[in-house]
Amino acid sequence: MADFTIDELISVCISRQVVDGEVLAQGINTPLVMAGFILAQCTHAPNVRFASAIGQSICQEWAPLGVGRIEDLWLGKSLLHVGFATAAADLLPGYNPKEFFHPAQVDPQGNFNNIAFGKDYHHPRLRLPGSGGIPDVTPYSDHIYLYVPRHSRVTFVEQVDFVSGLGHVPQRRRGRGVNYLISDLGQFDWGQGRMRLTSYHPDVSREYIQRKTGFDLEIAPDIHETPPPTSEEIRLLREDIDPLGVRKLEMLGGSARKDLLRAILAREGVL
Amino acid sequence: MHKQVTLTEAVELIGDSQTIALGGMTLYRRPVAFVKALLRREIRPKDLTLLCFTAGFESDLLVGAGCVGTVRSVYFGLESFGLAPMFTEAAQRSSIRVLEETEASIVMGMRATMAGVGFMPSIAWVGTDLPRLRPDVKTISDPYSGETLMAFPAIPLDVAVLHGLEADPFGNVRLNNNLGIDMELVYIAKTVIVTVERVVDRVKLSLDGQMLPAPGADYIVHAPNGAWPTSCYPDYPVAGGELLRYVDQCNAGQFADYLAGFLAETPTDTK
Repeated sequence: MADFTIDELISVCISRQVVDGEVLAQGINTPLVMAGFILAQCTHAPNVRFASAIGQSICQEWAPLGVGRIEDLWLGKSLLHVGFATAAADLLPGYNPKEFFHPAQVDPQGNFNNIAFGKDYHHPRLRLPGSGGIPDVTPYSDHIYLYVPRHSRVTFVEQVDFVSGLGHVPQRRRGRGVNYLISDLGQFDWGQGRMRLTSYHPDVSREYIQRKTGFDLEIAPDIHETPPPTSEEIRLLREDIDPLGVRKLEMLGGSARKDLLRAILAREGVL
Repeated sequence: MHKQVTLTEAVELIGDSQTIALGGMTLYRRPVAFVKALLRREIRPKDLTLLCFTAGFESDLLVGAGCVGTVRSVYFGLESFGLAPMFTEAAQRSSIRVLEETEASIVMGMRATMAGVGFMPSIAWVGTDLPRLRPDVKTISDPYSGETLMAFPAIPLDVAVLHGLEADPFGNVRLNNNLGIDMELVYIAKTVIVTVERVVDRVKLSLDGQMLPAPGADYIVHAPNGAWPTSCYPDYPVAGGELLRYVDQCNAGQFADYLAGFLAETPTDTK
């Protein structure tokens, strides 16, 4: 088994959710997902296309991840540019891409929240940047996926404070709600309309995952250990796709995160 | 017919309580020099409604300086650099009004304005909490199927401010391809101000950038380096070090000091 870190396992699991030929939508500031999408194209899904929020472009070729120079990827390699109005209202519903969102809160029905923490909308405990296009696509899409880099009871709650992403609820008219979630502890699905543990990562127990989750987890009958990355997947991530380690920013907080960000910016020459 | 003016002249066009839109995307091609000149005005504007598809550093300065009454944006943040500190604090204190927006509500609202109708219908938001957070947004029954849809109201816009790569004496402008909603802002704004890196004899078509033909801009302003510290692809990348300094100072409670230093830097009036 190859030596790997948890950010690499998450990107590899995201890659394995990709089906060849799909259009993959890339939101704002989600490098773990982008690393996984590129990895998929480098391995089992050579015919995927990338649709990006930055540049509102469709790309076939990729470039290594960056922060200060991220536009080199999305503007330098694009096949098509549209503005965001066309991208959001026309192109995304037409292409119906697969997209991974990073929820601030998620509940057992797969409703999720990216607006604020706290019940009082006008005086929230923490105001978040906003919900982008999440309330727009989740009422109809079949291709909603989630990822949570740091699994905790802050994120996995019995009831979300605000529903910006629509889950498996009776008022849903179209689409089917969240399909899949990957965290740093395991993989989950909504097979019966309620969040269900399908695999636990190496060295993580089912009991520990339940303790870190704010509601009772269902367990899939065929639960198993998450298959580890291959040495080739790890090599691609480290050497080709993300040599700066941008994906690791999503795993860190506080001063460790700031140190890594400074190091990345210095290597890009934009500090 | 457009008119070339200085930054100092251009910012006199902004009046209290107007709706102003700032072009570009999050950390990319934002009209920062314009915002800086606006904040250098002897009497700063107040109670602005800020319309940004995605709002970032430039908008956070305006919120921190107390110029903004209402924010309309799908995402207000600094991507890898974290939350926008002054917006986050103002939203939590309710010292600004947040009109919760998503990609669909802004895009459909702009399209309604362009079409000269009061609203555009959409499946977006249906089933989520967004209608509860935006009681001003009404629903409509589809006259063909009877389905209940959201009726996103037309968005009025007084002034759009964009930053572009170059302009010529005919009033043609070249933006880059990270367009955001710049073209739609031009179509719906009563007044369009474009700051540019360069004034050239004749803007040429280029795959590197979207052309905004005359009569697009009402006012053109020569503002070299006018998006800094956001990027202006392909001329310069995001100035990561400056954004880190901004976030650090705000988090230490020193927004006023940061702003004073930022405004004291060499004025950029050029003609």
